[in-house]
Amino acid sequence: MLKTTGLGYWYQDETNPLFQDIDLTFEDGQSYAILGHSGTGKTTFLSLVAGLDKPKAGDIWLGERSLKQIGLTNYRRHNVSIVFQAYNLFTYMSPLNNLLTAMAITGAEHAGDKYFAKRTLNALGIGEDLVERNVQHLSGGQQQRVAIARAMACDAPLVVADEPTGNLDEDNTKEVIDQFQQLAHQQNKCVIIVTHEPDVAARCDHQYRLENKQFVKLA
Amino acid sequence: MNFFKRAWLNVWAKKGRSVLLILVSSAILMFVLAGLLIRSAAVKATDQAKADVGATVTLSANRQAAFKKMQNSSTTSKSSRPKMTLTPVKLSDATKISQLSNVKSTNVTSSTTVNAKSYDVVSTSSGMGSSGGGPGGMKGKTSSGDTQIDGVTATSLTTDFSNSQSKITKGRGITAADKNTNHVVIEKNLASQNDLSVGDTVTVKKTTGKKATVKLKVVGIYRASSTSSSNAGPMSTDPSNTMYTSYTLANSLKGSKYAGTADSVTFTVSNPAKVSSVKAAGKKLINTSSYSLSTDDASYQTVKASMATIEGFANKIVWLVAIAGTIILALIVILMIRERRFEIGVLLSLGEARWKIVAQFFTEMLMVIVVAVAIAGAGGKFVGDQLGAQLVEQSTTNQTVSSSVSGQAGGQPGGGMKGGNGGPGMQQTTNTKKAADTNLDIQVSAVNLAELGGFGLAITFLSIMIASGGILRLEPKKVLIS
Repeated sequence: MLKTTGLGYWYQDETNPLFQDIDLTFEDGQSYAILGHSGTGKTTFLSLVAGLDKPKAGDIWLGERSLKQIGLTNYRRHNVSIVFQAYNLFTYMSPLNNLLTAMAITGAEHAGDKYFAKRTLNALGIGEDLVERNVQHLSGGQQQRVAIARAMACDAPLVVADEPTGNLDEDNTKEVIDQFQQLAHQQNKCVIIVTHEPDVAARCDHQYRLENKQFVKLA
Repeated sequence: MNFFKRAWLNVWAKKGRSVLLILVSSAILMFVLAGLLIRSAAVKATDQAKADVGATVTLSANRQAAFKKMQNSSTTSKSSRPKMTLTPVKLSDATKISQLSNVKSTNVTSSTTVNAKSYDVVSTSSGMGSSGGGPGGMKGKTSSGDTQIDGVTATSLTTDFSNSQSKITKGRGITAADKNTNHVVIEKNLASQNDLSVGDTVTVKKTTGKKATVKLKVVGIYRASSTSSSNAGPMSTDPSNTMYTSYTLANSLKGSKYAGTADSVTFTVSNPAKVSSVKAAGKKLINTSSYSLSTDDASYQTVKASMATIEGFANKIVWLVAIAGTIILALIVILMIRERRFEIGVLLSLGEARWKIVAQFFTEMLMVIVVAVAIAGAGGKFVGDQLGAQLVEQSTTNQTVSSSVSGQAGGQPGGGMKGGNGGPGMQQTTNTKKAADTNLDIQVSAVNLAELGGFGLAITFLSIMIASGGILRLEPKKVLIS
């Protein structure tokens, strides 16, 4: 379970924060969508819960321990998987090596297990003919599925995704959202997706909208 | 999967970039290796010069003191023309010096002249110099014969023979075993003119005392240097009329009072760097008002100076190329890291430690450097050979010019012991020639490659350290999300 208490963030002007006093709880086995217009701070919020940045006010808790106690690098390594809009795969590697690299760094249970990595990729539609190919030779949808497979292969209980369908067509978008739902419901992970697409948000278990520096629960 | 495997995957996947890095690194390391090779070759050449060119300390009569004594006597008695009297060197003094450490060998020299009795001397076409000796010196006082007798411990220890200016063509040279014998080594032209060969006997007439005749047995024939006659002074005898004997025979030809003496004694010092200490120790053993000790380590000094210049230049090459190489590689690595910001961001987002990311880049560069060291090892000898040859040529030219200048200044005719064979000027020319012949033996050894590997490692490490500032400051949020 991830919890934020009195969370606030601002860039230059403390009197004009992006958001403040945010108290939210994200449960395991659930998917969450965060909606909002551009520049409202939803990606910044995601970077805080992903451990890529430190909050300016308040705290984030994973279970009983705050991120300060865990340490950001340690938190990222063992507790969170991030899926980016631009995929951010290792471009000089194959899908298989991308998974094996991430599993090795995070110390995942199946680290070094090629069979497990291939099975994970296969489950996301990356066939045997693609697993050893350089990721730059895959389509956008395929690359995004590799990124999701990477998040799945690591044992992190929290998966955060920043506009994961931003570069995908309708069919690929549907497939990717299905994968995130599976992560939440079948692997009991907490999935937080930042999106500006209401259709994507509608398929998540919970929706929040960031407006006027506050999170508003939609459903 | 660890950073080693990531490094390998990156180097392999980006072959073009890796090849370019290998080429740049090879070029840098090739010059570093060339510098290292030249430096080690210069050190080796200097060490070799110690063994090859040698250095000597010569014990002889103190001419300066004798000259002062003569001047003093001329001021007190104006009735008769004053004479410069030189005290012959005592062999007992020479024995003491020869026992000093670092003295490798001793050559006793005693010269005189005799007149031919059973043979005809070789006459020079200019018609000059049938009377022996130059101005001054012991020989000038005692000699007036047509045949020059050079008494030595061994002919191989004389400058002419050790420099291969003179060479035994038949029989053998004079050795220490010829002490107290009447054995002689005569010149080829003299032998040919008089139909003499090894085993024959020649008769000479002393120029002192009762001018008795002495029979000498020819044990060897030598060929004098073709340039010897041109080097001889105007008052000297033809070089073909020079006979080598044991110094004991030369002394007996000069007269009984010369027993146990010598004109000069030359001590060859095993380590030329110790010449000064041998001279200082020797001075304590002799009466310096009658005798002087002079040193001749010009060959060693010339080679040493030449090699020191090359060694200094090689050191500069090594360090300049190493520094320039570090800067060039650091710039390349900085550019490389900048283009890999996303990769670093992803690694950081996965929780990879920053030091492991730095280690990955270091490993990648290390793989490149290992190949570059191998290429540089193969090509470094060629660059070293070219650069070394150029340096030796330049350095020895400089040394020859400076030696010639000092040779001219010091090379006044001294009426030398060897029938006008020249003073210091002649000796200097020979030494400089020897030094100029010194070449750098450039060879790539395991030690050189290890040194090169060390430099490569240091250059890589410094380059990565300089460039890694960017990695350590990188914030994943800015790279991945902004």
